[in-house]
Amino acid sequence: MGGFFSSLFSGLFGTREMRILILGLDGAGKTTILYRLQVGEVVTTIPTIGFNVETVTYKNLKFQVWDLGGQTSIRPYWRCYYSNTDAVIYVVDSSDRDRMGISKSELVAMLEEEELKKAILVVFANKQDMEQAMTPTEVANALGLPALKDRKWQIFKTSATKGTGLDEAMEWLVESLKSRQ
Amino acid sequence: MFAKLKKKLAEEAATAPRSGRIPRSMSKESITSVGADSGDDFASDGSSSRDDFSSQIQRRNDQIRKLEAKLSDYAEQLRLMQKTKEKLEIALEKYQDSSMRKLQDQNESFQTNRAKMAEAMSLALEKKDQEWMEKLASLEQEKLSLTSRLDEMTEQSLSLFQKRDDLDELEGFQQQELAKVKHMLLRREEQLNQREKELKLRGEELNTARLTLGKTQDKLYELGEEHEEICRTNSQLQAQRDELLSEKEEAERRVVDLERREQELQQLIQQVSEDFQKAQSNAEALEKSMEHLQSEHNKLKLQHEQHKNKVAVTEEERERILSDLQEKAASLERRLEANFSQDEHLQELLKEKSSLEQRLEEARGELLQEKTSHTTAVSSLEAQVSRQNASIIDLQTLVKHKDDSSKAYRERTDAQISDLEQRLADCAEKMKSLQQQLKDSQMHTDKLQMEWSEERERLQQQVSTQRQRGLEKTARLEEELLAVQRDRETEANKYQDNLRLLEEEKNSLLRSKGETDSTVESLTAELEQSRAEMSSRQTVSVEIAKALEETRKQREELQQQVSKMTESLVKAEQEVSRLSQDLGVKEEEVNALKEELQAARSSLSSLQAECESRRLEAEEKEREHNSQLTSLQQEVLRQTQQLSSYQSRVSDLESEVLSLTAHSHADECEGEQNGTVTVSDLDQLQKVNKDLEQQLAEKNKTIKQLQQRLAELKRTLQKELKLKPDPDSEMKERLQDGRQERSAEKTVLETPMPTAAPSPALGLSQTPGPITPNTTVTNSSDITDTREINFEYLKHVVLKFMSSREAEAFQLIRAVSVLLHFSKEEEDMLKQTLEYKMSWFGSKPSPKGIIRPSISGTSSWS
Repeated sequence: MGGFFSSLFSGLFGTREMRILILGLDGAGKTTILYRLQVGEVVTTIPTIGFNVETVTYKNLKFQVWDLGGQTSIRPYWRCYYSNTDAVIYVVDSSDRDRMGISKSELVAMLEEEELKKAILVVFANKQDMEQAMTPTEVANALGLPALKDRKWQIFKTSATKGTGLDEAMEWLVESLKSRQ
Repeated sequence: MFAKLKKKLAEEAATAPRSGRIPRSMSKESITSVGADSGDDFASDGSSSRDDFSSQIQRRNDQIRKLEAKLSDYAEQLRLMQKTKEKLEIALEKYQDSSMRKLQDQNESFQTNRAKMAEAMSLALEKKDQEWMEKLASLEQEKLSLTSRLDEMTEQSLSLFQKRDDLDELEGFQQQELAKVKHMLLRREEQLNQREKELKLRGEELNTARLTLGKTQDKLYELGEEHEEICRTNSQLQAQRDELLSEKEEAERRVVDLERREQELQQLIQQVSEDFQKAQSNAEALEKSMEHLQSEHNKLKLQHEQHKNKVAVTEEERERILSDLQEKAASLERRLEANFSQDEHLQELLKEKSSLEQRLEEARGELLQEKTSHTTAVSSLEAQVSRQNASIIDLQTLVKHKDDSSKAYRERTDAQISDLEQRLADCAEKMKSLQQQLKDSQMHTDKLQMEWSEERERLQQQVSTQRQRGLEKTARLEEELLAVQRDRETEANKYQDNLRLLEEEKNSLLRSKGETDSTVESLTAELEQSRAEMSSRQTVSVEIAKALEETRKQREELQQQVSKMTESLVKAEQEVSRLSQDLGVKEEEVNALKEELQAARSSLSSLQAECESRRLEAEEKEREHNSQLTSLQQEVLRQTQQLSSYQSRVSDLESEVLSLTAHSHADECEGEQNGTVTVSDLDQLQKVNKDLEQQLAEKNKTIKQLQQRLAELKRTLQKELKLKPDPDSEMKERLQDGRQERSAEKTVLETPMPTAAPSPALGLSQTPGPITPNTTVTNSSDITDTREINFEYLKHVVLKFMSSREAEAFQLIRAVSVLLHFSKEEEDMLKQTLEYKMSWFGSKPSPKGIIRPSISGTSSWS
């Protein structure tokens, strides 16, 4: 009842918050990206045991961005947050070639979820400022993104500490979210 | 707690839908295989053509030309074929629709059959489950008791670990502090070393300064020596001067002596002249007196002659008076001789003679006297005269002497005067010479004095210059010395300051050392305390170890029990095998159904034949139009696969039926079969044998898989026993329940609705772990870590849930319910209350009867 009204009101005012999840392995830079998007500054972070949720306004669109901790032991709890998600930002540490396979398996497991069938996937090939970083195409191939069907996805090379690539990615995300509505 | 299991289940759930993708991949493989086949065909052609290569090349070339010619024909044919292909596709679609319908019908029939079977199986299984439940309940009780013990033990072990951690931390702190102290000491030592080096440098500088000082002192000494030498020369010169002065004085003295002697000599001369004048005067006086005396002597001589005449006259008178008195004294004596005889007149005449003698004597005495007096006077006069003569002689001698002497004296004096005059002249000459000498000497001395003064001045100048130089030098040296002293003082001050600082530092260090000592002491005390605690803890740990040993024993017992359990499991398996036998019996019943299936299979085979013919046709077409017909080929292949799978299933079923029939009626039929043994029967038997062997192999595989699963289950059981025994047993139940339920559910609920979808908890718990082969077995050391992280995660999520907005909290309901193992009802209730909070109106949903906090946990699981 209340939910109906709230949805009605929110529909009326057109200010429905977009729900975005930032996922990825531990140490990929999810929290840094979240606060880079929200505050525009590089903050010093500690491993997230739990999650961070912040409201980010970008191009008159409000995003409720959830940054979920990526530690191995709490990765299974990601699925608790999948419902009503509009987009998933999947952050990959481009310099971590060893765990690319784990990242891929986690991504594949996530994309198999029914609740995320309609969610847009944005992959951030993060830490591009590192010397041994893989290129976005390499990352895309390593994650098996070209094999994805029925999924709107795009990969961007980013560097959260330098702040590069985030604007283009958000631009694309906003456009694709607007076009989907 | 059973995140591992859940994860495993989740992974399985993830993999289970993935299995839907497998056919796709399979189809790809089939494509590749087809491609490979075609390639093989070509290769075989190539191998055959290798024998007569040259001839074939020509032939091939001809063929190629022909083929090129044919290719244009084929292109036309292709267009025709495409048209026919389209037609065929339409026909195929129709056929597919019909076949799909048939298949669906068959599926439905099969599913109904299967549902029936499943019901029967479930009934039997329920019975078994009940038995198992009873057993499990008893086991649960044992487990509960054991788990309580285990909990205690884990608590004890946790406390032990905490204590150990505390100890480690303490030791770490101690080491850190010690390291700090060491570091401070090292730094102080380094500073001290630096100070010492500086001091050494200063000392070296001091030494150099001292050396320069020594050098300057040596110079000073040399200068002093020079000064001394100069002084000595000065003193020598002064001594020479003194000598010269003394000589001058002596000369002066001699001059004075000589002058004195001259004066004395002049005085002597004057005296001598005076004496001479006196002697002359004396001589004149003496001559006067001599003249006087001579006059007197003449007078006296006259007087003496007068006196001598008077004395001669008076003596003659006396002699006449004496001759008269001698005649009277002769007359009176004649008388006195005549009167004597007459005596009187002789007495009177003797008397008159005595009187006349007396008178004569008197007169004689008187004459004598006169004479004596006269003589005496004469004598005296004579003496006087003699004397006067003597004196005159004397005087004459004297005068002579005096003359002589005066002459001699005069001579002598003259000689003497001459001598003296000579001597005076000599003396004067000498004096002159002496004066000359003196003058010379004075000149010399003056010269000398001049020279000396000059020398002296020079020397004095030199001395003064040297002195000035020396003074300057000394001043400089003194300045240097002062500077050096100042430097030294400053340095000394610095050193003293440094020393003070160092002492202060030392003091501070000592203080810090003392503090550190105290801290060390305190730490040692703490250490001792901790050691004591350690010892106590060790005792505790020993007790714990004992308890652990006991628990180990208990564990062994438990293991024994577990082995017993496994035995019971084996028994259960045996029962299961018995059940499987029952199932076999039931399968016999199913045989009828299978016969029906056989009928279906025959229809299917006909369909397959048709399909195969179609496929062959399609394949032919495909070979002609490989690139264009890939999609069709895939579909066809899929169909063929499905068909083959059906075929295989049918063949399996057939074989099973055959085996079962063979199994069941082997003994009965043997006799009969023995009777009618033909070649075909033998072949059949061989086939049956092969099938049986395959079945055996499959069964062995399944047995191995089952054993693996059992081992995994045991492992997980042990882990869960270590962690939390309660949910594990429930899990086990649920697993066994879920396995059957899921199989039923999956068929029915192919597309679950978001609301009707099983909650993640359910989904997590329902998806069975052991089926997947890639179950990750975590290390036991991670357990505490993961537990802590899980607890932290739960804390964080609950905190956020309570603190965030309703919109966000609504999203968190799922997470909270998963973490706290809420049941579906509880989760719904939470959602409703949140919706109520978010909405402006509506009633607060009352908690349903099921959800009572005290029993909700247990009720939800049962």
